[in-house]
Amino acid sequence: MKRYVLRRVAAFAVTLLFVSALVFVVVRVLPGDPAALILGTEQNPETVARLRRSLGLDRPLVVQYAEWLSGAVRGDLGTSIQYDVPVGRLIVSRLPVTLPLTLLAGALMVAVALPLGVYAATRYRRTADYVAMIVSQLGIAVPSFWSGLLLILFFSVHLGWFRSGGFEGWSAGLWPGVRSLLLPAVALGFFQAAVLVRATRSAVLEVMREDFVRTARAKGLPERRVITLHTLRNALIPIITVVGLQLGQLMAGSIVLESVFALPGLGRLALVAINARDLPVVQGVTLFVAASIVSINFAVDLAYAFVDPRIKYDA
Amino acid sequence: MRRTVVLLVIASVALGIAGFAAAQAPRALVVQTGTEPPGLDLTATPASATAGVVLYNIQECLVKVDAHGKIVPWLAERWHTSDNRNYTFFLKKGVRFHNGRELKAADVKFVIERAMNPETKHPYPQYYAAIGDIIVKDDYTITFSLKSPTANFLLNLARQGSVIYPREAVETLKSAPVGTGPFTLGEWVRGDRIVLKRNPDYHVKGLPKLEQVTYRFIPDPNAALAALKAGDIDASLFGLGPEHVADLKKDGRFDVTIGETTNDVILAMNNSRKPFSDVRVRRAVTYAINKPDVVKLAMFGLGRVIGSTVDPLNPYFVDLAGAMPYDPARAKKLLAEAGYPNGFEAVLKVAPQYYYTVRSGEVIVDQLAKVGVKVRIEQIEWGQWLSRVWKEADYDLTIIGHAEAWDIANYANPKYYFRYDSAKFQELFQKSEVTLDDKARREQYVQMQKMLVDDAPAVFLFIHPRLVVAKKGVTGFWKDLPIPSSDLSEVGWSAAK
Repeated sequence: MKRYVLRRVAAFAVTLLFVSALVFVVVRVLPGDPAALILGTEQNPETVARLRRSLGLDRPLVVQYAEWLSGAVRGDLGTSIQYDVPVGRLIVSRLPVTLPLTLLAGALMVAVALPLGVYAATRYRRTADYVAMIVSQLGIAVPSFWSGLLLILFFSVHLGWFRSGGFEGWSAGLWPGVRSLLLPAVALGFFQAAVLVRATRSAVLEVMREDFVRTARAKGLPERRVITLHTLRNALIPIITVVGLQLGQLMAGSIVLESVFALPGLGRLALVAINARDLPVVQGVTLFVAASIVSINFAVDLAYAFVDPRIKYDA
Repeated sequence: MRRTVVLLVIASVALGIAGFAAAQAPRALVVQTGTEPPGLDLTATPASATAGVVLYNIQECLVKVDAHGKIVPWLAERWHTSDNRNYTFFLKKGVRFHNGRELKAADVKFVIERAMNPETKHPYPQYYAAIGDIIVKDDYTITFSLKSPTANFLLNLARQGSVIYPREAVETLKSAPVGTGPFTLGEWVRGDRIVLKRNPDYHVKGLPKLEQVTYRFIPDPNAALAALKAGDIDASLFGLGPEHVADLKKDGRFDVTIGETTNDVILAMNNSRKPFSDVRVRRAVTYAINKPDVVKLAMFGLGRVIGSTVDPLNPYFVDLAGAMPYDPARAKKLLAEAGYPNGFEAVLKVAPQYYYTVRSGEVIVDQLAKVGVKVRIEQIEWGQWLSRVWKEADYDLTIIGHAEAWDIANYANPKYYFRYDSAKFQELFQKSEVTLDDKARREQYVQMQKMLVDDAPAVFLFIHPRLVVAKKGVTGFWKDLPIPSSDLSEVGWSAAK
């Protein structure tokens, strides 16, 4: 196990190094100069040159990268060009929005998709199965920004139950915070739930054809126990894989929804930073998201061993 | 246990909803803005999002551009010049910065000298280029001597780069600006909102009317509309589009104000590139475009058709909207004369960050096709637009709004992205910069505007409208926008909310 973890940590570092180098080059190769964007249409060549110099953008790319990397290793991700605040602090300040949003959406997704997927599998090729599949097809087809707008129209404008957007902060209390995040979490979770329903259904269907399920039924076990104990447990491996991938996608999906709901999260930060060519922020956020996704994958791998005792990482 | 949980949930929902309804004090206002300021230092950024919050609200200038575009005394209660070279300003006494210290002439000297210093990266050093010397006579008297007469000197002192702040607060300008304005910065929750609080020691009696102003950043126009309808915001100053107007006008809960701005939207042509280097082609393009139709189809009828770059809020504005009316037959004739009887192909580069560019572009492409000019739209991101079109002039056609007031100077700069190079125009403009006699200067401006019609370096389409939507009962917004500020000092609720 120890060797396995060490190997994974090494792979983690290499992945992040690769991601950081890639992002570093890509954001600099893109046309659009941060200094020119800051100065807009009022710039003249001298002011741009001065600003570039003070931002350190006039130095060779390799030097800039080396400097950034040595800072990043020490936990210093640089300073935002736009906000003049350390990037690390900016990211941390956005986590209280994005993290609960992702987790809430993930929880909603699992809570809806797992039972529905299992139910659809047990009603294979019957009306309930078709209804579940049509609903999930709809969920996949409807983009989350649109369902987000519909939710705002119905629950905020029409019923007035929720705020139409914005985030008051957790200092206002638990419920005001959750209330700001509920609609975006539903919009985000619904889309992903639709994907997960299908994955769950096919995974459960596959296992239901196995011999041991037939044996369990032959033993006279109640159908409920057959499904939860024997089928679902064995179908969990592919389901966990999909959930792990989806958690990463939820983080990416929050970029769009945070704009629709005017939430000050990581996605909004990234979007604004890309448009403003705030290079340190783009790099910092990308690195953070990459690290999160790699960590989630790692957790998924560990979860395999937990659900399926046959999987061991010692060898 | 389960019942307790359910009860707790219901109670917290009820409390939350009740709490939200009572959260707003009667003299507070929540306004929506689409873009979060990239920083609050007006001496470091030209961003209009920054000016929209800071200018005339937190920080003020020696003189001010008022709601009607007139330059009026402000921190200086009067000024005097006998030769148009030496301007003496007499500061208003008893004006206090938000930190409690009184404004003195030495502060003004420090601020303007700092703006002139190239090391400080001020975005508009050209505004102060003519200043030779700044002499502090006493605490309330300061004289600027200019190297040459400069017609826009007073205007430049009223603009966003010329705000006065105390020298001890220079380090915190970006995140916690201090000034003399009607509001102080309460808090800035990055990504969500900026809260301004009433300045109790404001030097204008009776102002501001509001205790608190909250700017909420809502980037999506549809989300902004929903927030307005849900009652989460009281007013939208810049965020809504013309497509929302008809619906909002019908809604009895809101007042819709449509005014003028200095933002002239143009179809720029690359004057250095064939076929647009031929004035006959540029005129043909102008004749081929039905501007009222562009406004009708792209802007839902909102926006004033113009004929030259000078906007109606400028005192020297001449209405030339009808100078080159829609005339496709004439356009075709001109194209034939220029050697393009069957038209030509061109690419129109637009940045969808500004919605009106794409929409106007689609209408114009259709109109130009009718005279044989086949235009393909290429959408590029704003950063790319700035570097490719604006900086390198690598384009045939583009659409953009020029929001800056008094920006006719751009046409006197042959390196500007239009690449319009007319020695006669440049000479006329230089003359107007040093002409201080109002009548003579007006005559020069009229001539310049007419030259722009004749030479057609761009097609001057329309003025982007100012669009303010507010709950009924909110009064005091500027109708027009002669300067990119959203002065909220006189905004208030007419009756108890």
